[in-house]
Amino acid sequence: MSVRRASTQRESCEVAQTDPDILRRLATGEISALGELYDRYQDPIRRFVGRATSDAEDVDDLVHATFLAAADIAGRYDGRPSCRPWLIGIAAQRIRYRRQAFARLVALLSSVRGALATAVDPRQELDARSEVERALVRVSEPKRITFLMAEAEGMTCPEIAEALQIPVGTVWTRLHAARRELRKALEEERES
Amino acid sequence: MSVASCPRLFEAEAVRDGRLSGAELASFKRHATICTVCSHEAIVLESLAAPLRSASSGQREDELHVRRERTRLLAAFERTLFTSEPRPRYRMLGSAAVGALVAVLFLLLRLRATAHTASASHVLVHADSTASWTKSSEADQEKIILERGALSVRVDHSSGPVRCIVVLPDGELEDIGTVFTVSVEDGRTTRVAVEEGSVVLRIRSQPLLALGAGERWSPTARPAASAASACAQCAPSAELSPGAQLSPPAQSSATVRSAPPLAASAAPDPLADFRSGVAALSAGNHREAAERFARFLAKHPRDPQAEDASYLRVIALQRCGDTGSMRQAAVEYMRSYPRGFRHADLEALVGDVDR
Repeated sequence: MSVRRASTQRESCEVAQTDPDILRRLATGEISALGELYDRYQDPIRRFVGRATSDAEDVDDLVHATFLAAADIAGRYDGRPSCRPWLIGIAAQRIRYRRQAFARLVALLSSVRGALATAVDPRQELDARSEVERALVRVSEPKRITFLMAEAEGMTCPEIAEALQIPVGTVWTRLHAARRELRKALEEERES
Repeated sequence: MSVASCPRLFEAEAVRDGRLSGAELASFKRHATICTVCSHEAIVLESLAAPLRSASSGQREDELHVRRERTRLLAAFERTLFTSEPRPRYRMLGSAAVGALVAVLFLLLRLRATAHTASASHVLVHADSTASWTKSSEADQEKIILERGALSVRVDHSSGPVRCIVVLPDGELEDIGTVFTVSVEDGRTTRVAVEEGSVVLRIRSQPLLALGAGERWSPTARPAASAASACAQCAPSAELSPGAQLSPPAQSSATVRSAPPLAASAAPDPLADFRSGVAALSAGNHREAAERFARFLAKHPRDPQAEDASYLRVIALQRCGDTGSMRQAAVEYMRSYPRGFRHADLEALVGDVDR
């Protein structure tokens, strides 16, 4: 048993640091490094998670889980100047785990109750900002995440493939399908 | 050319996904300049993406919520720092079945005897395999009696001030911060290491000793330099007076319980000033402690210990019952250290006063 602990970084010691520097400190267990990483990226991560999930209620938990997972594997960061794509990749993985766990739960409940859970989309109740974002909710989650990673976060297809641990061909397929579904959803929304 | 008729329409998407390069890419770009279908497709695809790239389109959380989540995250991360490492591989290679059984029994006994984790209320204790200790709670005080072995202690002040005292065979140690380790052998305290916050060590027949974050004490060795030395920008040369042999140059008024007022003519020594406040606090001279911490903050506003001093000043004022000043000091702390680690403590403290 041991206590893994680094000295507390004082506020007065803080200087602008690069992402790799912050992650190196985080890998040694420095708590203030996690605070800096959070301050720097919580906004884009929260936005990504909010758009990617159909359930706004657990955005906080997913953001939370993303940063904790990042802290856990900070030592393996590859040193790119910006860790935003890396964090987005972690967030996408957390969303996938949550979806899989949720799917198992729904399957279990359905088998017990003999009925599927009612599909409720809490995001409809949210203050959606744009027509595209509203339509995006109707695209299935894996495609939506892939689309957001490519179009909102500017990640390349190989980067997305690596982050999601899927073949790059699957990324292309998902992007194509996402655009098709999104255009269809937009058309339907405009008609209605 | 009809909308569906351009055979190269799919390339608009392929370009977007980075599937075209070199001559293919150049060719399509030339084509798009003359093909209205493909250029329109490119515009449509861009229109799907553009609203998502706008940072302002996101629903921004209010600042208070973000700060609350930040605190929650850091607290969760801090908890993960105190997890048990995987046990070392048991030396079972080549051992007989009887040996393995004995090893398992031995392990179980050790676990029962030593691997207690006292997660009660505010004090988390991790004991090493040789530790013999007990813990009890009385009102707002936690008492740990350590007879031998080493303990790593974390005191959670997030739900309010907690007094934690480790009773040692040859003295006692009082927690003022949060994380420290203490070892005892042969009826003597052999090592104290403070990782966060500070402690006050009282060894019989020796002067009281205050240890800050990053400092270590042992009866034969001089304590290590303060953690602040890790930051060259703000590192005072923090050499602490040893508990067993208090050497004259390092003899600080801060380490003695009946600490005299700070000498005005002395060279500025932030660490000594800080310890002076800690010593007064631990001696129960709360008003004096508050004043010393205030003086410390006025003299060394940029010192690495300033945040601790600001926090301890609030605690000192709270202990002497000066609610108004305590509230004002808490506000000053929050204003001076908007990302300080003690916000939750102080908010709870002020909240308790309000109730």
